[in-house]
Amino acid sequence: MQVLAVQIELINHYPWLPSTKVIYSDILSEKPREFIKRLFLDYPLDEIYERVIRIFGAAFENKEEILNYKIDELNVYLYLLLKILLSIFNDNAIANRIANLYSKINYNELSIESDFVIYEICRDLELDILYYENPITYRIIIAKNQREEIKTKFTIHFTDYLNLAASMRDDFRKLVNNSLKNGEVFIQKRDLVRLLQEYVRKKVLSRQKLDKNSLEKSRQKLFKIDEFKQLHDRILLDWEKMRDDHEPLEFQWGEDFELTEIAPPCLKHVLHKASESQNLIHNERLFLVFLLHALKIPIEKIVKIFSTLPDFDRDKTLYQVNFALNKKYTPHKCDTLKSLNLCMAEKYKDELCLKGYYSIAKDEERKVNHPLTYMYVKQYRLSKTKIQDEMNKGKNE
Amino acid sequence: MSENAYLQRLFQRYYSEKREDIPKVNSFEKREFGFIPWNKQIMIRHLAFRELGDLREKLALEGPRHVYSSGTLYEEPDHLDMNQKGYNGCDLIIDIDVDHFFTPCKEHHDTWSCKECGLTGKGMPDKKCKKCGNNKFKNVAWVCDKCLEIAKQSIVRLAHDFLLPDFGIQESELNIAFSGHRGYHIKIENEKMRSLSSDGRREIADYLSGNNISYEILGFKSKSNNIYGLRRENIGWSQKIMDKIEDLLKGPSSDIEHLLEKLNFSKNKIESFKNSKDVFLHIITSKNTQNIWAIEGYSHNGWITFLNGIAKEIGIEIDEPVTIDIHRLIRYPGTLHGKTGFKVQELTLKELDFFTPLDEPKKNLDPIVFYGKNVNLKLKIIDNVIPTIKIKGETFGPYKEGDIIEVPNHVAVMLLSKEVATLL
Repeated sequence: MQVLAVQIELINHYPWLPSTKVIYSDILSEKPREFIKRLFLDYPLDEIYERVIRIFGAAFENKEEILNYKIDELNVYLYLLLKILLSIFNDNAIANRIANLYSKINYNELSIESDFVIYEICRDLELDILYYENPITYRIIIAKNQREEIKTKFTIHFTDYLNLAASMRDDFRKLVNNSLKNGEVFIQKRDLVRLLQEYVRKKVLSRQKLDKNSLEKSRQKLFKIDEFKQLHDRILLDWEKMRDDHEPLEFQWGEDFELTEIAPPCLKHVLHKASESQNLIHNERLFLVFLLHALKIPIEKIVKIFSTLPDFDRDKTLYQVNFALNKKYTPHKCDTLKSLNLCMAEKYKDELCLKGYYSIAKDEERKVNHPLTYMYVKQYRLSKTKIQDEMNKGKNE
Repeated sequence: MSENAYLQRLFQRYYSEKREDIPKVNSFEKREFGFIPWNKQIMIRHLAFRELGDLREKLALEGPRHVYSSGTLYEEPDHLDMNQKGYNGCDLIIDIDVDHFFTPCKEHHDTWSCKECGLTGKGMPDKKCKKCGNNKFKNVAWVCDKCLEIAKQSIVRLAHDFLLPDFGIQESELNIAFSGHRGYHIKIENEKMRSLSSDGRREIADYLSGNNISYEILGFKSKSNNIYGLRRENIGWSQKIMDKIEDLLKGPSSDIEHLLEKLNFSKNKIESFKNSKDVFLHIITSKNTQNIWAIEGYSHNGWITFLNGIAKEIGIEIDEPVTIDIHRLIRYPGTLHGKTGFKVQELTLKELDFFTPLDEPKKNLDPIVFYGKNVNLKLKIIDNVIPTIKIKGETFGPYKEGDIIEVPNHVAVMLLSKEVATLL
């Protein structure tokens, strides 16, 4: 018999913990169809609907909390149902939104847990964590007459640290900017909880990749359960209703062109990531803000693009977007983008980026050295095509 | 007989006679192997061996020019589709190659020529050709005891300053090898590290090289016209930087001058720093200090330039893509390097201390396996200039195109392998 690393209350609270498999081994061994059938039989349908729809609703609206979020046994079942729904939807944008919201909720919950509970959770996740009864000092900050000792009760093995932190690509979490000794990274509780949030986010996102046929088969099997089909359709309807609001590339640039038509691959790439609620690294965020400012995109629209990111904080984003505007930062040149590894010309084999264009004014072949140049050239080409099309249309008429 | 056929036969004979010298690496059967043959410059990948004997047999039979194996473990290492190999984790590989960093002696022994316009030069080429702007060069790089010593010292620092104290890696987990040409690599066999993603490995590469440090996060900040510096008590890179600064300040002023000159500080600023050296040392070593870094002429940006310079001195110049790539193949220990004929020599950290690849006295560590003092070969030089080479205590060259020379076997093998000479 497996020994439980954590209390059952913790599992109800955090159903993504590995020990869930031990306690709920019966349901986890069931096929999704049996599990869903049993769930709808054992629990009031209204409550399941209400709670699931509330989670999806909050995620679609980019909210950072779920009203009346309950921690009970049903929470475990709903977590599993959520994962099944996500794999049936098979939509990255939906999955990212749910993962972001769900991980944020868990971050808030974990933040108020005691140090020891956090340690227990880490142990359950088989993270190589050391817990010190007496906090250890690992940094000192001296400024003027103030001397502050930075202490912690936690260290984490660098491999576990990197497995969680590396994909976050945040300067504060870079290994080189942290204290590392004997293989252990010294870490504050709040930062450890942030890593756990990342674990939860990845856990929600992890799903078995099915090919089209298998996915369709699974769908058809599950749709035989009317209650499930209704729930699925209702969420999809909500999503479609919200979709227009969440389409970040709807705005026009210039007079007749949508940004997506003329954007260089570097900008498209970042916008696509944001639209799928993927995390953007610091440099991608700066690039996006500076460029969108240069394009005179309204502030609220820029904030809206960022609203889909996993760590979105409206006030902070608004402040930073305004700050960049006031400072009049200029957008990155192609060379800078290359040095920051943000140039996507090669990845998308973009002809204009790679081959350049012919400048009539200069009477020579020129290279694109700035995303704005790319957009002007692209706009010029498109407007020419448009005029030509209209002329052809006139001729035909 | 062509030079390549001659070398291939030599390699085949070596592998036949020295079968027992080809070691079995850990998880041997899970690794992918790759060979570069003598007749074409392509890597034959996706090979795997169940038994060491099979590999030894293949080497003796084919005598390939280069032999590699993966740092990665696979369920099916010989599957042709990378996605179907069944990734089982990857050892961390760190490569230090003289090719990637500046050494003063390169000006004497390395040459380059632009593939576009033919412009030639000595040392390391610029990023772009001065004449035509092209960025593709033909490099002729030579082994040199000074370069190899610098690479060796980098490996020693890498182990003693980073891998053992910071990462807590055991000496027994380090598999160090002289590459047989211009560098060394370390393969770290640690179960936990095998799970690291490329992103995680990139973080380790940054930690080892000191790239992307944020001094502000480490504690450096400007506030009310004061600059508050880093502290030695802060574990990690802050401590490394402060230890280095302390050493610098305790050393001769000429060292400070040399570093600041390298960082393009003006003469006035260099003098100013030297004059404040003792006060600065007191500030950074005293416990009861406000930790204000104030040297005339040094603004926030000036200090950042200084700190970057210090970090560069501490960091190790590794070949980053090798560390980050989780499907990379590296030279197999005990095999021969096709550009020199030298053996890929495995070493412990202790053995590394006294290892001198071009003149190694210990026979079991000597990578020059074709040593033949009294076996001379007659060759014709076909390359423009061959610099002076010091090998096994003897100096050879310089040679120029058309020279007919008679050199010992090991030197001949090297010149033929480098394709700068032909057999006569």
